[in-house]
Amino acid sequence: MKNPLNKRLPRELKSEFGKYLVIFLFYVIAISMVSGFLVADNSLIKAYDESFEKYNIEDGNFEYYEKAENAVLEEIEKEGVTLYENFYKEEETEDFESTLRIFGERKEVDRVCLMDGEMPAADDEIAIDRLYALNHKLEIGDSITAGEYTMKISGIVALSDYSALFQNSSDLMFDNDKFGVGVMTDAGFEAVRDNHIHYSYSWVYDNKPEDDIEAKEMSEDLMSVLSQYGVLTNFLPEYCNQAIVFTGEDMGGDKAMISAFLYIVVIILAFVFSITVGNTILKEATVIGTLRASGYSRGELVRHYMIVPMLVLLVAAVIGNVLGYTVFEKVFSNTYYGSYSLPTYEVLINAEAFVLTTVIPMIIMFVILIITLTSKLRLSPLRFIRRDLSKRGKKKAFRLNTKIKIMTRFRLRVIFQNISNYVTVFVGVFFANFILMFGFVFPPMLDKFEDDITSNVLAEYQYVLKAPAETSSDNAERFVLGSLSTTYENRKSETVSVYGISSDSKYVELTADKNKIDISTAYRDKYGVDIGDTITLKESYGDKEYEFTVGGYYDYPATIAVFMDKEFFNETFEYEADYFNAYFSDEEITDIDDMYIATKITEDDLTKTSRQLMRSMGSMMYLFTFFGVIMFMLIIFLLAKIIIEKNSQSISMTKILGYNHKEINSLYIHSTTIVTLLSIILTLPLCNAILKYVCIAVFSDYSGWLAYYMPPSTYLKVAIMGVVSYAAVAFLLMKKVRKIPMSDALKNVE
Amino acid sequence: MFLEISGIKKHFGEDESRVEVLKGVDISIEKGEICVLLGPSGSGKSTLLNIIGGIDNADSGYISINGEKTGDMNEKALTLYRRKHLGYIFQMYNLIPNLNIKENVEVGAYLSDNPLDVDELLKTLGLYEHRHKLPNQLSGGQQQRTAIGRAIVKNPDILLCDEPTGALDYNTSKEILKLIEDVNKKYGNTVIMVTHNDAIKNMADRVVKLRDGMVRKNYLNETKIPAAELDW
Repeated sequence: MKNPLNKRLPRELKSEFGKYLVIFLFYVIAISMVSGFLVADNSLIKAYDESFEKYNIEDGNFEYYEKAENAVLEEIEKEGVTLYENFYKEEETEDFESTLRIFGERKEVDRVCLMDGEMPAADDEIAIDRLYALNHKLEIGDSITAGEYTMKISGIVALSDYSALFQNSSDLMFDNDKFGVGVMTDAGFEAVRDNHIHYSYSWVYDNKPEDDIEAKEMSEDLMSVLSQYGVLTNFLPEYCNQAIVFTGEDMGGDKAMISAFLYIVVIILAFVFSITVGNTILKEATVIGTLRASGYSRGELVRHYMIVPMLVLLVAAVIGNVLGYTVFEKVFSNTYYGSYSLPTYEVLINAEAFVLTTVIPMIIMFVILIITLTSKLRLSPLRFIRRDLSKRGKKKAFRLNTKIKIMTRFRLRVIFQNISNYVTVFVGVFFANFILMFGFVFPPMLDKFEDDITSNVLAEYQYVLKAPAETSSDNAERFVLGSLSTTYENRKSETVSVYGISSDSKYVELTADKNKIDISTAYRDKYGVDIGDTITLKESYGDKEYEFTVGGYYDYPATIAVFMDKEFFNETFEYEADYFNAYFSDEEITDIDDMYIATKITEDDLTKTSRQLMRSMGSMMYLFTFFGVIMFMLIIFLLAKIIIEKNSQSISMTKILGYNHKEINSLYIHSTTIVTLLSIILTLPLCNAILKYVCIAVFSDYSGWLAYYMPPSTYLKVAIMGVVSYAAVAFLLMKKVRKIPMSDALKNVE
Repeated sequence: MFLEISGIKKHFGEDESRVEVLKGVDISIEKGEICVLLGPSGSGKSTLLNIIGGIDNADSGYISINGEKTGDMNEKALTLYRRKHLGYIFQMYNLIPNLNIKENVEVGAYLSDNPLDVDELLKTLGLYEHRHKLPNQLSGGQQQRTAIGRAIVKNPDILLCDEPTGALDYNTSKEILKLIEDVNKKYGNTVIMVTHNDAIKNMADRVVKLRDGMVRKNYLNETKIPAAELDW
């Protein structure tokens, strides 16, 4: 005979339909989002990983100041590498502000994935990166003019070595708006002017390194060989090339974050369930006692009370997975496609996603339910019949000062009676606030970043020259610009801009003595360097190390840079005393031939990081806000509902005694209000501290520096979101209290 | 007439399961009277008490207290009516489990503009030394005394007692009945007590016997004896 208790299950589901529906929906949202994300992430990572082989992505590239002779290249190839010419020309576009990096045909290395249209066939045709095209609304058949050369767009492509459009690997962030890449036929490439040609060579090892450590050793060996044959202006092993590796690292990091997020949600919900189950047991104590007295085993009852929550989770998991594969996979892959120039991919069935989103949450839920139920059902049948469920014998009342008004004492008693619910509320509010804060923190942080950059810009224009060139502009001031790399142990080496400034500079006022350096505030904040400290920097493309004593800070919050006197610079780096290679100017310099200018740095170049971060994170922010609010409302609603149900008899009794709705709400809902508001207020600084820690840890891995910033308005926004969400919940709770009939108090319950 | 119960009818359920619980009840009670509603299970006595208490509605008929009909009152007015005029005592005490004894009584005192002194009352009830305990730390009799304290602390006009001794042993029951009697004497409240214990009628000023939803007997008790002398 089937267990007759099972007949209660549909009724239990029906009687608690609201509660189960809310939990069910929450699971569906969480599981479908996470599963969709993991499937998209996994499929894209697979496509990304395979692209290394499929498109023969280089093991690195280097650039000589001049084109290398074939004999030199042959000599270098003897070091166990195959070299490929991968020259490019970089030109400013005319119709909109951006830099276009144009390559010739790429048949052997860093091959191109054609996503739409045709590869260029005529000399005036170009295939451009998909995101760059999208950002500038360029379509196949449109024309684009760069470097005085007009090209027709024949196709939309993804360049395998530019999945993240970093113009320079030292940039904090890629920028697919102000920087784009495209490929032409070899003849077409030749037709573009040579003013800004880069003699870049890609290499592929004959025997690939096993890991990054070996790759580092091999690249260092290669660099010392390369530097013997010419003036190296760039050297970028694949593992350091942000344009190649950033995408993979970012997608991997996102996966860890999203999985952690799912587990937090599952654990919170499991606790909510365990509290719910505890409440059900309290409600059903006499039934349980009678069943146990009649011979039902504890195991049978544990199984009975587990079925509905497990079933809810199971159905939610199935629907969540279906939605994940069908709807959210596209949402997330579109998010990645909105940031990265990824090749085409196929949606792959992801067993790991299934385990992470379905199997593990079910196990977590199962374990928590088993523990809660077995411990709660351990009491004797008689105790259940008598509704004496307290484990530590009869509870004693702690004293409250009788000078406190009775209504306040009443509220305090409600809080202490439901302390486990409220602890869960606190934890839930904490996570919800964290999620909300995460959704809100970036716009002001990036705005501040942009403000800091624009208000601390060294000069409106910085012109970096290929060779010293004269100008008649009164505004122009000579300086020397070089670059070194950091040498901190256990930290990724990153490029440091080294400025040599005239002693009477009107653009940069140094505070350090002549043989000391000023470091940028970004350098100070990122590496924790103080005045008086000695820092060691090394050549980016060589082994030589330099030691400098820090004499001051220069307010330059976005760039890892050091500033020194120009004479000291030239002396240190063994240049002629009057050597310079760059100009500061507050006006555009027009009398230097474009071919002498290596780079022109404007405010726009400096703020590209913040723009890109906003673009990448925009849609995610809405998702976080949405989820934060839902989580907030759900947790508080469920737990407060339990508190009200648990006290329904007392509420009913207070109604009989003559308490009005306002007074009853003030007892049973205001206690939740107090805890919720306190939780909001107390968790805000906690969330801020953790977010700050996380952000700093993440930003430390990036090149450059993005200072963490949380304005009071963000606190206020998060708090307001919390309060408004709670107001909606409180409204529902008040309705629930209102519905409790006075006849509840008449039930014969001790 | 202080309390007038006139033509009260009440049914539960519909169609085949429809049960007429009260079939037209008329009772008049004077101020300060102890009225015992006596009857077997299902006679409708508790339903009548709930209608008097404004926690249930009658199908027809009215309850009038000092000329004010409860049927004309909206929810807010009914709440105020319970707040100002009624004290309720139940068989299962219905104390608020997370409040201590004193606080349970204070919950009643809060509702009155002119409540009795809580500490004094606790002493009268013999609960003062237990005032910091939670209800589940006390015996049934002590809990019922607390419930009485909660009901009378606001000095209500009418004390409604629904089987107040139903869950208590003989001695404790007598103790509680005596307490109700003392309260009636001391404060002059009207007491309406529902019971199925026939012996309790002897302490009443008025006895109303209900059976099958109708008043079978309604008389003034000429041979009233003190609660302490009751025996069953």
